[in-house]
Amino acid sequence: MLTDALSIAIAELEEEQVAGLVKERLDSGVSPLEIVNSLQQGMAEAGSRFETGEYFLGELIMCGEIMQDSMVILEPLLIGSNAEYKGSIVMGTVKGDIHDLGKNIVVMLLKGSGYNVIDLGVDVSKEKFIEAIKASNAPLVGMSVLLTGCQESMKETIEAIRAAGLNTKVLIGGNYIDDIIKDYVGADYSAQAATDGIKVAEEIFSL
Amino acid sequence: MNEKEMLYQKRLERYITAMDCGKPDMVPVAFGVGEWITKYTGTTLQEIYYDLDKSTDVVSEMLPGLDFDIFKGGPALWWPPMFDAMGSKLYKFPGIGVDENSTFQFNEQEYMKAEDYDEFIASPTEWLVNHYLPNISTELENPGSYRSTVALIKGAAAFAMQGGIMAAAWGKWTVENGIVGQGTGFTKAPFDTLGDALRGMKGVLLDLRRRPEKVLAACDAITPHNVNCGLAGPGADTRFPCFAPLHRGAYPFLNPKQWDTFYWPSLKATIEGMWAKGKRMLFYAEGDWTPYLEKILELPDKSIVFQIDTTDAKKAKKILGGRFCLQGGVPTTLLTYGTPEKVKEHIKRTFDELAYDGGFILDTGGVVMGDAKKENAIAMIEAARKYGIY
Repeated sequence: MLTDALSIAIAELEEEQVAGLVKERLDSGVSPLEIVNSLQQGMAEAGSRFETGEYFLGELIMCGEIMQDSMVILEPLLIGSNAEYKGSIVMGTVKGDIHDLGKNIVVMLLKGSGYNVIDLGVDVSKEKFIEAIKASNAPLVGMSVLLTGCQESMKETIEAIRAAGLNTKVLIGGNYIDDIIKDYVGADYSAQAATDGIKVAEEIFSL
Repeated sequence: MNEKEMLYQKRLERYITAMDCGKPDMVPVAFGVGEWITKYTGTTLQEIYYDLDKSTDVVSEMLPGLDFDIFKGGPALWWPPMFDAMGSKLYKFPGIGVDENSTFQFNEQEYMKAEDYDEFIASPTEWLVNHYLPNISTELENPGSYRSTVALIKGAAAFAMQGGIMAAAWGKWTVENGIVGQGTGFTKAPFDTLGDALRGMKGVLLDLRRRPEKVLAACDAITPHNVNCGLAGPGADTRFPCFAPLHRGAYPFLNPKQWDTFYWPSLKATIEGMWAKGKRMLFYAEGDWTPYLEKILELPDKSIVFQIDTTDAKKAKKILGGRFCLQGGVPTTLLTYGTPEKVKEHIKRTFDELAYDGGFILDTGGVVMGDAKKENAIAMIEAARKYGIY
């Protein structure tokens, strides 16, 4: 149960109220990190409302948007504070597929939960995935796909990541994704709903 | 009447009877030649999309000997040269933008900005010509310029050329195989026109909270255009339904209150507007529409054919059956991941559950992707004839 007014405001998707509270708290000297924490708690609440069916995708996207707008103000102020990311995650829609609605929602939720997300966009080649994983040393890579026809490119990408000797965990997500496809393409985790991705990230980064 | 004409009449009667919720001699079967055909014909998807003769030839070769009723068309949904002539940003086509064997994909953007609402609502067509076309096409960036005018003429010519070639092909397929075309005309839900083409998914979802009154006014402004679009395209034909691919109304994009307020009223008005002229809609409910089935009951009897994609089929039958014809029953993934035996078993079960009292057309739930297997597609038709006799 949320008690913080800012957490409640973002969970209730009260855009103007959130903007007002963020400004008010900054003006009164509350640390940016504490404000981000309140926002994250509210966002987590929105995520669980989505899981229980109370919230739909429209609410989830709105919540992410409010978070993103708040971070535009807060992020520059976090520099120099001892804010730390929970970890780095590489994300992208696989080669041959340009759909990004699902991926963008997951990216918003992960960012909102305190992860450093390296978003490679859509139609991402295996080379680009590997390059980004190497550069960031990310323990988790998320691959999004909508078209069943792009399953082979997902499989090839995962094979290439393994062949490059990277032991990054691979999470695949998309409308038709299930455990059969996870096993077929050689991924470690599969997700159908946006909030599943957060759970996987929590599992990996709590190790 | 020759043999093919007789066959056509029989299949037409089967189709019409089912659409009117009746029980024909057997369950009508709909079939389309999808992108999967390229794997079996040694062609690339790029060739099939760009070369209309090639694309219609592979269909002509495939059709003879197949026994089904309703034809949904060949593998190429669009002819890209029309879009290329205008420098369209709307789609990525095989070979241009994506790999030569990747399917076409829609490049969704906010082609209409939030601040454009008022001008759009005041005169949708004018706004489309003055702002939308320049936004979606590099060659149309300067309306009225020499370059833009030539590009428009080229685009319109390409559209007419495609229409001519496809009409001739459909004529040939009909005459030589005695198959019935699925529909005439095309329209959309007004909210989808706004949410697919103009504002994009994210844009329209945020608008529902930030400027809900503009969304409603825009849907109202679009409605008469979408009624007209469904009627004017097919001319006077009212035998066949008008195809309407429905997108943003699927679960779980909108919450129930948003669905009731923003999605449904203008779609209902579009359907009623067409039905008043005797035109039925193929309510192509892509995705899952289970939570909204009760609302759909508000429509006039038989005014739609309800397409079952991932909607709970048994619930759809229970709630909508008898009032509207149902179409579907075969998950698209079954044609990709299944085997002919599994397809046959599935169809037998589907008929038991959905077709027993008529008002049912067997079809794939949604658009069949390029990775489907031909043997599964053929097994679907064969099983339908084996188990589908009433």
